[in-house]
Amino acid sequence: MDKKVLIVDDANFIRMIVKNILVPNGFEIVGEATNGDEAVRQYERLKPDLVTMDITMREKNGLQAAKEIIAKDPNARIIMITALGQERMLVDSFKIGVRDFVVKPFDPARILSAARKALA
Amino acid sequence: MAISADFVNPFIEAAMTVASKVAGITMRRGHLAYKRQPDPSYGVSIIIGVYGFLKGQVVYSMKRELADRIVHNMLQDAPILDRDVLYLDALGELANMITGNATAILNQRKELAIGITTPAVAAGSNLTVTLINMPTLALGLYSQYGPIEINIALKETAPSGDPNSESLMP
Repeated sequence: MDKKVLIVDDANFIRMIVKNILVPNGFEIVGEATNGDEAVRQYERLKPDLVTMDITMREKNGLQAAKEIIAKDPNARIIMITALGQERMLVDSFKIGVRDFVVKPFDPARILSAARKALA
Repeated sequence: MAISADFVNPFIEAAMTVASKVAGITMRRGHLAYKRQPDPSYGVSIIIGVYGFLKGQVVYSMKRELADRIVHNMLQDAPILDRDVLYLDALGELANMITGNATAILNQRKELAIGITTPAVAAGSNLTVTLINMPTLALGLYSQYGPIEINIALKETAPSGDPNSESLMP
């Protein structure tokens, strides 16, 4: 069965790119969110197998949203996909329990390997 | 107050890398000028705020022809009906990636974070974002489709001493 994915990014363009990488490779996109608040609500409702999460978003950023999701579901599998490739962001993400950290711009193969590794 | 020229090379490196990787466009280095504040020279502008131990604004400005070409190349996989909707979105993401990559190169204080805001994109005269009143380095880059100017208005602020205060975590 296809693994269910929630894509979180305020940029429609990035959501489209991530979707175009994952769908032909056996993933089902069950939801999309444009900010951290929406991400937390949709995670509770959809219970996806995997979340791809941007950091820079209005309302609530991706680090805050990931922290809330993992606090409610310690088994949540989240990979960050962000332009903010600073070491501090990476450290904060892994401290929260995020599974992988992909810096934009990315190669499609990097997204696929991060998604597969997070679900392994 | 002077602005540090150290900010320039990370933006050149990031802009060249991102433009090549996401839009297949080669950029070469052009002029460097000082301005009293950011002042977009061309018709399409993208504004991103910076916060953390570096504060200020980065304003990208390009001719419509270059913006059209960048978006055309970035959206090759998009359904034709979606392309108008995605136009400003793609330009915002390009600026987001350049700023994000440049701040990663700039951030030598590994324990601290530099945050950036979501981009505000204006094509034409609908610029509604207030430009910061701060000394600015204007960096020109050239491509076969026209120029882009990056207005860098940043200053370093004294960290509080508590590394957690610079985190983006709640």
